[in-house]
Amino acid sequence: MPAAFAVTSLHKRFRTRFGRTESVALDGVDLEVPRGEAFGLIGPNGAGKTTFIKCLLGISHPDSGRVELLGGRPEDPRSRARVGYLPERLALPGAWTPRAFLASVTRLKKLRPERSTLDGLLQRVGLSDAAERRIRGLSKGMRQRLGLAAALVGAPELLVLDEPTDGVDPLGRVEIRQLLTAELSRGATLFINSHLLSETERICTRIGILSRGRLVRSGPLEALTAVQQRWRVRFADGQPAAALVALGFEPAEGGTWEIAAPDAPALNHALDGARAAGALLVELERASRDLEDVLTEALAAGAA
Amino acid sequence: MTSIAVALDLLREAAARRWFLALGLALTGLLMLLLTSLRLEVVDGALAASRLFGQPLYHSIQAADVALRPVFLVASQIVFWGGLCFGVLSCADFAPALLSPGRIEHLLSLPVRRWELLAGTFLGVLALAVAGAVYASAGLVLVLGAKTGVWTGWPVVSAVLAAVAFGTVYAGMLAVTVWVRSAALSAAAGASLIVLGLLATHRVPILDLMGAGLGRALFAGVTAVVPPLGKLADAAGALASSSPLAPGGLLRLLAGTVAFAGALLAAATWRFERRDF
Repeated sequence: MPAAFAVTSLHKRFRTRFGRTESVALDGVDLEVPRGEAFGLIGPNGAGKTTFIKCLLGISHPDSGRVELLGGRPEDPRSRARVGYLPERLALPGAWTPRAFLASVTRLKKLRPERSTLDGLLQRVGLSDAAERRIRGLSKGMRQRLGLAAALVGAPELLVLDEPTDGVDPLGRVEIRQLLTAELSRGATLFINSHLLSETERICTRIGILSRGRLVRSGPLEALTAVQQRWRVRFADGQPAAALVALGFEPAEGGTWEIAAPDAPALNHALDGARAAGALLVELERASRDLEDVLTEALAAGAA
Repeated sequence: MTSIAVALDLLREAAARRWFLALGLALTGLLMLLLTSLRLEVVDGALAASRLFGQPLYHSIQAADVALRPVFLVASQIVFWGGLCFGVLSCADFAPALLSPGRIEHLLSLPVRRWELLAGTFLGVLALAVAGAVYASAGLVLVLGAKTGVWTGWPVVSAVLAAVAFGTVYAGMLAVTVWVRSAALSAAAGASLIVLGLLATHRVPILDLMGAGLGRALFAGVTAVVPPLGKLADAAGALASSSPLAPGGLLRLLAGTVAFAGALLAAATWRFERRDF
């Protein structure tokens, strides 16, 4: 599958006015996101996530490295015409109406601002009733939705969203998640930078963890959250706890048990032992962690 | 085309600002006041009597076109200097707003080249300046033309010259903003260019007064490149009042002014293309 974007050995340092290096924002990042995927970039504040996005879209110039955006260069307007971007803190012209703002974005994307299309976009983000209100009178969440509508102008192939649910209420987050799922179904690629791990976990299928300008983890969400060689088992009530502990099972959350097994024969050997001790197997799954655990572990490993 | 779209967006933004609404209302009010309060009696092409608010203005009988010359001269100076000062104050915020965090990132992510953004901003402000100056001068020509039968287009040409002068000043403001995003600094740059333009107008007598040294060399160097705005204002006044101009003088003046603005815009574009946001 062709890549939505590919970044190779990306370096970016911020300097003072006198040329001294102030901080290293990106320190040799390599990343390729296939088309049609939902990729989430996570990491602590100051990890370089927003700088990465800016380099990806040609808003900032990397010191070195290569960026390929939808098969072209980010400096090429033809590449950017196929991208929708929602910045972290989008500043909107307060005196304009949402419809006028979307019309302006449409014109700058060299498309014809048809009223029906603009109203359709406003409807998708739940702003139909605010189409003719001044933007300065909109709430933070409504402005965020308008920014999202602007990112959706022209049905872009790649959506780059920096904190898309920032300031949006919980119900609004559900709506935005549904909207992004619909975009994925359309074939768009999603690249999301969010500090809300639960949101990222729900939308994205691939994750990258950025720490101190380095991509310390990257891959499918399932693979990152899976705990290799550990299994979670639920037995029927009245299980022989002492026998299970003797067999190597460890008590876990919610009345479940976990066991380390390097391969299938070892796992079955342990389960046979448990059954022989009188335990009745109800549920078996690979033990996994949530994204917060993965992030914490990755950051700790990166700091070491 | 993209630059024009950016310029039109800037005009839409300007239309929503109180500064420009106030200017439009003030100019319209002034023209309406002249239309209703100024009474001019023209007999056989001569201005026989003139009254403003019922009070006589002139006692001598003059040819109407001759009598209107000082009026157009004063009006052109008001449009020129007043327009420059108003423009510096009211347009200082446009480029800083364009470069504000959260807005510039979004604009740069669109299929717009950086130079197109800058050119669009400049063109938008220039269009504003031309529109304001032409509205004021054309309104005055229409009011006086309707009352005296003297029709001339020169005050409008003179107003366009004032807009060109402001374009030069705004090029400096834009260049400063691209380096440091600040409306106050942008306005200060505009005001400094106006003062330097005035000093450049009188550079020879001022240089005569200065003793040799670094200060004199610096002054001579700076005022050699800054357009002499006073000369441009004089030319605008001469045009408006249908007075003779030195042959080729205005063209040379205009060429120098446009070249200066072009150099400032080139420097701004060079910086803008390299800047990170």
